[in-house]
Amino acid sequence: MTHILTSGIELPASDAIRPPPAQENRVRALTGALFGSTFSTLITLIGGALLLVFAWFALKWAIVDAVWTAPGGSAACAKPGAGACWAVIGAKYPVILFGAFPYAEQWRGVVLIALWLVWAGVSIFRRVPALTKIIGWIAIFIVSIILMRGGIFGMTYVGTDQWGGLPLSFMIFGGTIAGGLPLGILLALGRRSRLPIFSALCTAVIEVTRGFPLLVVLFFAALIMPLFLPPQLNVDKLVRAEIGMIIFFAAYAAETIRGGLQTLPLGQDEAAQALGLSYRQRLLKVILPQAIASALPSLFNDIVRSFKNTTFFAILGLWDILGATKSALQDPEWVKYSIEGYLFVFLLYFVICSGLSLYGRSLERESLSRLRRAGK
Amino acid sequence: MTTQPQSTAAMPEPAIVIRHLNKWYGQHHALRDVSLRLGAGEKIVLCGPSGSGKSTLIRCINGLESFAEGSLEVGGVALDGSSAHLREIRRMTGMVFQHFNLFPHMTVLENLTLGPRSVLRESEIEASARARALLERVRLGDQALKYPGQLSGGQQQRVAIARTLMMRPQVILFDEPTSALDPEMVQEVLEVMEELASDGQSMIVVTHEMTFARNVADLVVFMDKGQILEAAPPEVFFTTPHTERARNFVRQIGHAA
Repeated sequence: MTHILTSGIELPASDAIRPPPAQENRVRALTGALFGSTFSTLITLIGGALLLVFAWFALKWAIVDAVWTAPGGSAACAKPGAGACWAVIGAKYPVILFGAFPYAEQWRGVVLIALWLVWAGVSIFRRVPALTKIIGWIAIFIVSIILMRGGIFGMTYVGTDQWGGLPLSFMIFGGTIAGGLPLGILLALGRRSRLPIFSALCTAVIEVTRGFPLLVVLFFAALIMPLFLPPQLNVDKLVRAEIGMIIFFAAYAAETIRGGLQTLPLGQDEAAQALGLSYRQRLLKVILPQAIASALPSLFNDIVRSFKNTTFFAILGLWDILGATKSALQDPEWVKYSIEGYLFVFLLYFVICSGLSLYGRSLERESLSRLRRAGK
Repeated sequence: MTTQPQSTAAMPEPAIVIRHLNKWYGQHHALRDVSLRLGAGEKIVLCGPSGSGKSTLIRCINGLESFAEGSLEVGGVALDGSSAHLREIRRMTGMVFQHFNLFPHMTVLENLTLGPRSVLRESEIEASARARALLERVRLGDQALKYPGQLSGGQQQRVAIARTLMMRPQVILFDEPTSALDPEMVQEVLEVMEELASDGQSMIVVTHEMTFARNVADLVVFMDKGQILEAAPPEVFFTTPHTERARNFVRQIGHAA
């Protein structure tokens, strides 16, 4: 019996190269998803109605019935039918934004915030060389310290116990990243060191720090550390807390960067060695740029978190913006309108943190698109 | 420039001298009493079954692997644990890897200029000019500003060869340079290597490309289980191998070729 072949082909009808067939209309697709059956139509109508009602009340409270200004004090907000009392922000913004900083000197805080925002805007642009950005940030940080501290150029001296609000949040955050990122890189490299003592030491620092809540680290830095320091060495409380903050951030960043280092194929370092590059050159030109690029998503996670961690400074009596808001809203005249005040600060946090995340994502896209293309 | 085949009368100064090299991975004796000499301007093809120690041997030459016993000299400089000597040897040797190992975050041009600028302290202008000339030579003159990920495997390997040439190495070590390539790309890489060989570049090539070995090698060295079993010019090695294992090996790859 002969086998009859059933496998086969059919040659293409034409060898024309065509564009893909038209996509299904998006509106039609959406209508189908929302009103496809009786049940989903019901769900869509009920859900839609609830959403509309909620949106209407929110809009009415926050915009339509809201009281925007109250020249005569909080009485304007107490009228029956009044919605959100945004006037509280107008009345209390000096304390919310600048904490206990002397009122007459608050222009210094305004200049500081403006400098930070402008330079953050400049830093978004890829055209600006990285070195220019970094030098700019260092210069701005130094200017910020001078502005806050005063004592020269005719500015009155303001002690760190009176620093507060958004400028303080910015400076704690900036200092944390500026100090913590290099320290984190060193710890990550140290943990991978071939010298067992060095590697054990770095591992210990990372694991011990990660084993404590930030609050404990800050308490230790601010309150317990002075007991061990010689009394002549009088380190400012803000500086001590900042050191705690830097070490805490560095411990997390170190693990993130170590993750990035581990994704790097061994061949990259070998190729750089074969070219005759020194350890430092290999690190700076070949290994770290790639490791940090692949660690970027988690690294920005750590960075955004460390901005939010600035709120912990309130525990030490240093008024970051949240702490400043809390104390501003203890004024009996406005205490009823705390919600509006906090909403304002939450919005501020949201804008800043989202801005940081968006910037992180754009960096990621830039470097990862390159790395991904290099799959082989 | 061309190099005459080695004459017995005047031996050229050897580029690499390896004497009684032994290496262990844990308890495994990976290289067993390996001795090998590469004359300046000459080409050795190193072949043998996988796991025979070929790659390990050439990776010892530029210090990517360490060895326990024996001596190794490149251009008269001994690899003896001194970091100055290691730097010197790495400057004299180039290596082309199986998986290219180009730097994916840099353009082709930056891949080429990194070594000369960092190690040889060349200016950017000088290094770029040389890089572009070399890219022409490996027929990639129009790819200078692309990233490695945008190139085919064969193109990437040619970039890797150009990157090595930028350092003007006395010896180039090729570690299975065509093994990771799709078949249709093997030839373009081998052609570049054959051109280099005919220009008198000294090289040690670990490869299974026996046509290349026949065309280019001055000496074919056969390794198995960490030992060098025999070495002969290609016409001798491929027709009348001495050992049983070499005969088996030649027969097997003969079927593939």
